[in-house]
Order: sequence, then C-alpha cells, then structure tokens
Amino acid sequence: MRIVIAEDSAVVRAGLAEILADSGHEVVAAVGDADGLLAAVAEHHPDAAVVDVRMPPGYTDEGVRAAIAIRRDHPKTGVLVFSQYIETHYAADLLGAASGGSAAGVGYLLKDRVSDVDEFVEALSRVAAGGTALDPEVVTQLLAASRRTDKLRSFTAREREVLALMAEGRSNSAIAATLVVSERAVEKHVANIFSKLTLAPSDADNRRVLAVLRYLES
Amino acid sequence: MRASDDNVPSQRSVLERILIRSWEYRHLRFWAGYRIVVGIIVAFCGVATLWVGAYRWAALFLVPAALLLAFGYWEMTIAYRLLYAPLPQRVRELEQSRSRVVDDSAAGLRRIERDLHDGAQAQLVAVAMKLGLAAKKLGGMVDGTGQTDLDRVLELVAAAHRGTKEAITELRDLARGIHPPALDQGLGAALATLAARSDLPVELVIDLPERPSPAIETIAYFCAAELLANAAKHGGAQHATLEAAHVPGLLRVQVTDDGIGGARVETHGGLAGLAERVRTVDGRLRLSSPPGGPTMVTVELPSHA
Repeated sequence: MRIVIAEDSAVVRAGLAEILADSGHEVVAAVGDADGLLAAVAEHHPDAAVVDVRMPPGYTDEGVRAAIAIRRDHPKTGVLVFSQYIETHYAADLLGAASGGSAAGVGYLLKDRVSDVDEFVEALSRVAAGGTALDPEVVTQLLAASRRTDKLRSFTAREREVLALMAEGRSNSAIAATLVVSERAVEKHVANIFSKLTLAPSDADNRRVLAVLRYLES
Repeated sequence: MRASDDNVPSQRSVLERILIRSWEYRHLRFWAGYRIVVGIIVAFCGVATLWVGAYRWAALFLVPAALLLAFGYWEMTIAYRLLYAPLPQRVRELEQSRSRVVDDSAAGLRRIERDLHDGAQAQLVAVAMKLGLAAKKLGGMVDGTGQTDLDRVLELVAAAHRGTKEAITELRDLARGIHPPALDQGLGAALATLAARSDLPVELVIDLPERPSPAIETIAYFCAAELLANAAKHGGAQHATLEAAHVPGLLRVQVTDDGIGGARVETHGGLAGLAERVRTVDGRLRLSSPPGGPTMVTVELPSHA
C-alpha cells in the first residue's frame, strides 16, 4: 500500500512510519498538519491516509475535517483517523461522510491500537480496500449510548458481542475466529440481529456496519 | 469591609478617623439614627412649645434639636460613605477577580491536558509502537516465520527504553508544575528547593515563623518561581536574592536581581499574569526596575485567602 501519514507529534510520526515501512508498505509522505495532508493526498493519490485528529493550528478536530474532505474529494483513498481519545461524535461525522460516498473506507482507532502491529496494519488494509475499522472503544460507547434508549434490550449477550465485532468492521469468519464458534453460528446470530433490527441482511461488510451504526445512533 | 477600608485611607479626614476609632463603624449607623430620632422628638417639643406661645422655652428645645440633627446627619453621611458607597465597587472587583480565577483554572487545566497529550502521552504511544514492533520481530524469530535480526530488536528496545525515560521526566516536570511536592514541607523548604534548582545563584532570606494557608503558599511559590525564571531569562542577571517574610496577616515575597532592569508590566505578559493571580486573593505586586537595574519585584499576600 502507498500511505500518507498526518500527525503533528514527531515521535509518533516516526514510529508510525517505521511500523508501516517494516510491514512492507510505502510511506509516500509524512506531514504535520491538515493542509499538508490535503496537499500530499492530492499529489500522491495514496491508497490510505493515517490521520491524527488534533493538529495545528487549532489542535481541535482538524484531522476529522481533513478526513471528511478526503473522503469527498478522493473516494479511492481510505482514511484511518486515530487519536488519543475517542469522541463518539467524530465517529458519527466520519461514518456520515463515508456513507455519502461510493465506498466506506474509513476507520477510527485509538492510538494505543497501533502498538498491536499486525492488527493495526490489518485495519489499515481493510480501510484502504474500502472497508471499515472502528475502535472497540467507539463501539462500546455507541452501544452504551443506545442502551440508554432501550434499543438493544432484545439482544442476547452473544448477539451483542457479534454486533460489537460487526461494528468494528470484522467479517463473519473473523468474528467466528474471535468468539471461537463456527461461521454457521455467526451467520445465524447476524441474521437474528438483522431481523431484530428489522434490516434486510446483506453480505457487504460496510453496509451492515453502517446500517448497524446508523441504527445505534438514531 | 476591611479590605476596602485599607484601600481608601487617604480619603478620610482627621475627624472621621477619630469617629471611626471611637465607634465600630457598624455601630455608626445606629448612633446616627438614634441622634436623628431624638433630634426630631426634641424639635417636635420645641415646635409644640412655640405653638403654645412659650417662646423663651422653645430655644431650649430647638437649639439642641438642631445640634442633634446636624451631628446625626453628618454621622449618617460618613456611615453611608464607609459602609455602602464602597460596596458596588468592591462587588465589581470581586466579580472581576472571580472571573479571572475561573478563566485561570480553566486555562490551567487546558494547559495540563495539552502538555500531557503532546508530551508523555505521545512519547508513550511511540514507545508502545516500538515495543509492538520488537515483539512482532521476536515472535517471528521464535516461531521461525521471520528473519533473525537481533540487532534491530535491540535497537527498537533501546529506543523504547529512551522514550520511557523521557516520558518519566516529562511526567515528573508536569507533576511538579501542578503541585511542587516540596511545598508539603512548607514554603521555606519549597523556596529553598527552588533556589537550589535555579539557573542563577540565589541568595535566600527566609523568615517564616508561621505557615500561611496552603493556597497562599502555592501562589507565593509560583510567583517566586516565575520571578526567578524571569531574572535568569530576561534580566541578564548574575545573581538574585529571594526574600520571604511572614508577619501576622501578611506574607511578603521579594525577588531582587542585578540585571539590566527596565522590566515593565505588559498586558498579557508574565508579570501581568502574576499580578492578576495575586489580585485574586487581594494581594499586591509591585515592580521597581529602573533602566540599568536592579529589578525588584515585591509580592504581598494576605496570610489567608
């Protein structure tokens, strides 16, 4: 993959570049602010961009806004936003931007996850391929928020686990491996979840994640 | 009311001072009111005497009545000036200082969050990345899927080690910036630590027989820290003196340096920030810095906030 990194902290930027280079990916540009990011994406047309949320000059949500702009202007570039805190409404903004375009291709991870090198690289690959990668923390917060509105009361504990993993962007086989059950069982849970949410079942990972999340947010 | 009393000493006449000394001025209102009421009653008697036609007796009532009313009126105006007139101004001052305190603490928290986010947190994320990569490489070597490259692993672990030490230093500095641990042993001990750590040679003169309240100690400490840093940074000084003295009710911290002088309290400058912080507890900051030096900054704080 060809990747652009936008991160204002030099140590983190260097560490990230090191990990990606070590995993056999090409870091075509590493920049420290949102303007630099947009310029680098326009110039290199990378497969994916890894974007910090807080960047100069305002240190607020420059990264999220840049990510949304990239999704709008460069639909082929997947954007993985990462930050030291999870803000649920940023996740909502990103997913909203993703569902408006042709492909999803967004992710939102805590910076801590980067240290699990293989998982991080896999999440980035998923995003570059037009999939989704949401931090388990985002999913937990979204589920907690929706629990307040009594939406998930009808789910069994196992169905909730499956829903959480689906929301993270995992495929059925990955969910089966994580929960140590057969893929058939996962399919059954997914079908149950969809019927309880009154959604038509779909094979596309993105659509089901987005559908689930949109349902949870509403 | 004491604070406003201290703020307007020059506006008082000698007679007023005698009056204030004679009566607690809370009682002034009562005495003034008493005199006016008695004056009115006596005046009424005088008018009644006039009415019945005893003109000679009337003077016996009317003269004291006039005196009582005049004196009572005079006392009343003083009571008003001392007790009520300063209140709106005092309220304005307190409102301003309260909003400064609130802004100050919000800004302080934001600064701490920023420091953590950009400093130790980022450092630790980078450490975790390096260790993650090292673990991945070691895992590959152990199960034979990766190539053996112990030098690279060693390099990663050494870099992570360095990063951890840097993060520890940053956290320690940050923690000290929030609350210096030496302050728990008292202001004297904290100032001694501060003087020892300063970039300048600092002569320390401490006279603190009793401890001020913790909030005052903290403000005094951060004033001293900032003033010493200023002396080292801007003043071109070779030597500084840090004095701290506590007499009942008042803590005075003074920093003198032999630098080039010419320091001013500028809007949004460090000294203006200190002066504001000091004002939130009704303290004062005075600056004397003629061109050519020496620069002397005196901070006076009440013993209790």
